[in-house]
Amino acid sequence: MTFSDDRPTMIEFKDVHKYYGDYHALRGINGTIKAGEFFSLLGPSGCGKTTLLRTIAGFEDISSGVIMIDGKDMANVAANVRPTNMVFQSYAIFPHMSVEENVGFGLRKDPRSKEDKAKAVAEALEMVGLKGYGKRAAHALSGGQRQRVALARALILKPKVLLLDEPLSALDKKMREHMQVELIKLQRQVGITFILVTHDQEEALVMSDRIAVMFEGEIAQLADPETLYRRPATRKVADFIGTMNFVPAEIVSETGNAVEVDAKGLGRVMLDIAQAPAKTGESPVVGLRPETLTLLYDDQKAPERETEGVIDEVIYFGDMTYYDVYLGGTDVEVRLSMRNVPGRPVLDVGTKVRVAWSPSALVLFR
Amino acid sequence: MKKAPALRSYTLFYLLFLYGPIILLPIFAFNDSRVVAFPLQGFTTSWFSEMVADANLRIAAKNSLIIALSVATLSTVLGIFAARASVRYRFPGKAPLMGLIMLPLVLPEMIVAMALLVVLLSIGIPLSLFTVIIGQVLICTPFAVAILTSAFQSLDKSLEEAALDLGETPWSTFRLIILPLVMPGIMASFLICFTISFDEFIISNFLGSGQPILSVYIFGQFRFPAKVPSMLALGTVLVCFSIILLGFAEYMRRRGIAKAGGKDSGGFL
Repeated sequence: MTFSDDRPTMIEFKDVHKYYGDYHALRGINGTIKAGEFFSLLGPSGCGKTTLLRTIAGFEDISSGVIMIDGKDMANVAANVRPTNMVFQSYAIFPHMSVEENVGFGLRKDPRSKEDKAKAVAEALEMVGLKGYGKRAAHALSGGQRQRVALARALILKPKVLLLDEPLSALDKKMREHMQVELIKLQRQVGITFILVTHDQEEALVMSDRIAVMFEGEIAQLADPETLYRRPATRKVADFIGTMNFVPAEIVSETGNAVEVDAKGLGRVMLDIAQAPAKTGESPVVGLRPETLTLLYDDQKAPERETEGVIDEVIYFGDMTYYDVYLGGTDVEVRLSMRNVPGRPVLDVGTKVRVAWSPSALVLFR
Repeated sequence: MKKAPALRSYTLFYLLFLYGPIILLPIFAFNDSRVVAFPLQGFTTSWFSEMVADANLRIAAKNSLIIALSVATLSTVLGIFAARASVRYRFPGKAPLMGLIMLPLVLPEMIVAMALLVVLLSIGIPLSLFTVIIGQVLICTPFAVAILTSAFQSLDKSLEEAALDLGETPWSTFRLIILPLVMPGIMASFLICFTISFDEFIISNFLGSGQPILSVYIFGQFRFPAKVPSMLALGTVLVCFSIILLGFAEYMRRRGIAKAGGKDSGGFL
């Protein structure tokens, strides 16, 4: 059981389709997002992730299907009355207003007294780390500060769902990593459902409780980060998330709960049925992550299986070295990563090596 | 940089040709002679007194102000709708429609005026200041649309969506977000339309049914040599008025940009 299983449902998609003229942008989206979850929509540009986010916000109508938020059908519910708030990619800070006017904008129709509203604005600013910035002109802020203002402006309304449209893409790398952690902390603090749109798989893995990977208007896989990484449902997902080696294989036999394959360069191996996700009709390959492969020392024995190989390429990263290795005299090349611990020399191209691997780390795509 | 004396004298000559006659305007307006010619005869303000005392001129000025204010307001309001629609919405026939709206920009004004005159007379609408306003709105609206389209185009669509997202209706979003941010464009449009209307002659002449309108009135007065000096005084007042108006509009525009944190590009001054 993962984090999300015992939570009530916040958002439910039932066969959601969206057409722009002839273009089929969303092709039958199904799935649920749980209350209090940090959920990511991940995919390459043009996969429909932003469109899906905008249908939740109510900025886009759907062509068919149902979107439920907190048990209510959102058909004919306008964006300005939905229990969602959005942090825009451009942040959309109102340039003619001060920071506190921006943050307090959504409270305009709030019946509370002026003093109470000012207090709420101050609290929201403090929450995002902008205490004392209220009087500043919005256009005088840095990118990171604008984003915090956008967050405070959305969160002050205590929405049921906060929508984040690639909020970190405009920030530099250091700032982005910093904001990732801050966003996670913030989400835990407020307990609101966060839905993040991103094309950065690392960002999705770091931040999310669950991730929906989208290609061409469809959800290819919806799972928690670990499942997504270790047991990708399709070869395309495996390729999109991190690095995955693909080794051609033949299926030898299949029983109810196990598949025996003959992988080129690795040999015959028994896989649990859980390691062989649903058939898609592709020619069979087994996938291995670089870190599940280990180069053995001369006197070292593999705990499970080992295969001989020759180093074809060495890529030195400082803390890690990546090796591209031809497996067992074949033309199958895999990439593996080794930590550069003291006493382990970086090997040269052409060195004959033994590669240790574990059958349980394999995934079969067929 | 290499010096180019030919280009430099060309520039000087160009500017002199452009502004020389306008500089002569105040000089002769204060000249104590009915004959507009050098040498100057001495200083007087009597032409200004004569101008102020002219009852017909006062009526003409009042009429022109009424027309210019109405035309600037109507054209700018229509321009806001058209520019907004053309920037934000997609609808069938948009390109030809926008083309037709912009067409009066290049249509000979004489043709427009004659056509309007024929139509108005044949459907029995009496000529008045109102018909002048209608005709001039037709001429001014393309200018308003052109100015306002660029103002609306520079507006980030996310700003509107953000306001909707924060609970505002489309109308309050327009009022609270869009309107303040395109205000410099609205000011510019209003000013341009006002200026165009104020010295517009052809439509005022055709559709004004002989009511005194400043441009037509000035043209008429030039037939009488004795009236010329007071017309020069009027011209001087109008030039000062234009400069003040332009300066004010530019001040508003820069303030608007500074407030929105934008980079200044373009403008009049």
